[in-house]
Amino acid sequence: MNHLLRVDGATVDYTTRHGATRALDGANLTIAPGERVGLVGESGSGKSTLGLLVGRLLPAGARVGGTITVDGRDVLSLRPGDLRALRREVLGFVPQDPVGALDPTLRVGRQMRLALRGSAGEDGNPADLLERVRIDRPDRVLRLYPHEISGGMAQRIVIATVMAAAPRLLVADEPTAALDAQSREEVTGLVMDLAESEGTSVLWLSHDLRAVGRWCDRTAVMYGGRVVEDGSTRAVLDDPRHPYTRALSRSDPAHAVPGRRLPAIVGGPPTLVAGAPGCAFAPRCPRAVADCEGHRPLPLTVDGRTVLCLRPETETTVPSDVKAAS
Amino acid sequence: MSTPENVVELRDVDAVFTSGRGRARRVLRAMRGVDLHVAAGETLGLVGESGSGKSTTGAVALGLRRPTSGTVTFLGEPLRRARRRPGAIQAVLQNPHWSLNPRLRVGATVAEPLAARDGRSPNAHRDAVRRMLEQVGLPPDLDARHPHELSGGQRQRVAIARALITEPRFIVFDEAVSALDVSVQAQILNLIRDLQELHGFGSLFISHDLAAVRYVAHRVAVMLRGEIVETAPTSVFYDVPRHPYSRRLLEAT
Repeated sequence: MNHLLRVDGATVDYTTRHGATRALDGANLTIAPGERVGLVGESGSGKSTLGLLVGRLLPAGARVGGTITVDGRDVLSLRPGDLRALRREVLGFVPQDPVGALDPTLRVGRQMRLALRGSAGEDGNPADLLERVRIDRPDRVLRLYPHEISGGMAQRIVIATVMAAAPRLLVADEPTAALDAQSREEVTGLVMDLAESEGTSVLWLSHDLRAVGRWCDRTAVMYGGRVVEDGSTRAVLDDPRHPYTRALSRSDPAHAVPGRRLPAIVGGPPTLVAGAPGCAFAPRCPRAVADCEGHRPLPLTVDGRTVLCLRPETETTVPSDVKAAS
Repeated sequence: MSTPENVVELRDVDAVFTSGRGRARRVLRAMRGVDLHVAAGETLGLVGESGSGKSTTGAVALGLRRPTSGTVTFLGEPLRRARRRPGAIQAVLQNPHWSLNPRLRVGATVAEPLAARDGRSPNAHRDAVRRMLEQVGLPPDLDARHPHELSGGQRQRVAIARALITEPRFIVFDEAVSALDVSVQAQILNLIRDLQELHGFGSLFISHDLAAVRYVAHRVAVMLRGEIVETAPTSVFYDVPRHPYSRRLLEAT
């Protein structure tokens, strides 16, 4: 199959003054052209690291292993000029904090023109671009400074700028986490519509399972620096096979059974200092056996999705009426 | 107190904001004739989209905003008198990253409401703080850490510990789980239910997340453009929403 993005056994290590940390521990992921993939996981699971790694945007101290291929190019061995070309022509990034992504000293119009210089969107008129993201009276907005606009407006401006260059792959890192419920829905819809009309693939990083369920074709679940379950969104979220995905999905209040206590996952996610000897979820896993701690699970294909688990779940335990209520 | 009583009651409350002058004058009625009450040991869920007046209602119930008209009572007395009972009303806000002072250690943050009440130093309350941290599921020696060393879930537990330490009769949770990871949300929602059973505070749980509200609230009130358009026990509301807007809200999730 022809992949736009292929991540194979990616590892990322940092050494800080507090010691070593492993942020990615052999993550695998592929994205086909035009596909919308949701990458879900808790804070610290490594999803942001993976998102940044796609454009080799990690801080200087990061030691990276594995291979990352974007549009046939080996990202980790690209020369600086080629890397910049890749970022400019193929990739687009939407950050979590849109106000922080804008330069506070420049008016919106000026920084949009600066950002578009040299890219495929260079000839675009900023006012037209803002209309594409449904901003009223764009001429007025172009004259404002970032501190004069709302978070939702700032995120639309960032999206308009990024999508002007018609990237092949858009990496969006919790782009709606800082927005209120209503703008969240609108902004997500905007990104997905624009991506569809440009044929852009989307890697949507989020911890909002319900949003991913609504918008993404495929869902990959991260835990402890690895992708532990990966398949069609319907299969992964409605009928998970990895015990972690199952636990995550059941702890969503939308799946609460009336009168029954919400089954929270006990404990917290791990902080790895080096490669995990076994499954990183084993200490919290209700299905774990002795082998799980000492053997790294290999990818298994179970019911049409890839699962990294020695003892994947076998049957549906979420009753169908509960699923319908979500 | 054996009989259920209302800790907070809003009667016919209006809140009006004006801005600009002359032709640019704008008037926004954020609350229109709002009636609601919260009993001891009860959670009232308040739902509605952004701009519907949920947070203004929270601010009025906390006594942080004076209503334009109408009355607010706390334990049967005008809310102003609540000043005589410092710490009896508390709030837990959306983002613990912003609501905790980054320069204070967790112990000082949690002790602050007690210290403000009795004028002693935060250190004088060290034991109370450590007991409280344990109650919200944190190791007591976390009191020496700063907020940036904690995860999002731990921070929100600290915010809850800080709210509970004065044994409040009423707590407003304004989008208190919206910024948290799903797995942490479940832990915090369970914690809120457990602590309410233990302490019997009344609470106003403001959220756009209907699933979270369904899980923690005993009754639900729906706000639309400043008005409460429906109030019902949680099970009734989710099974047979009466107001067309409530039905739309439920379909949207």
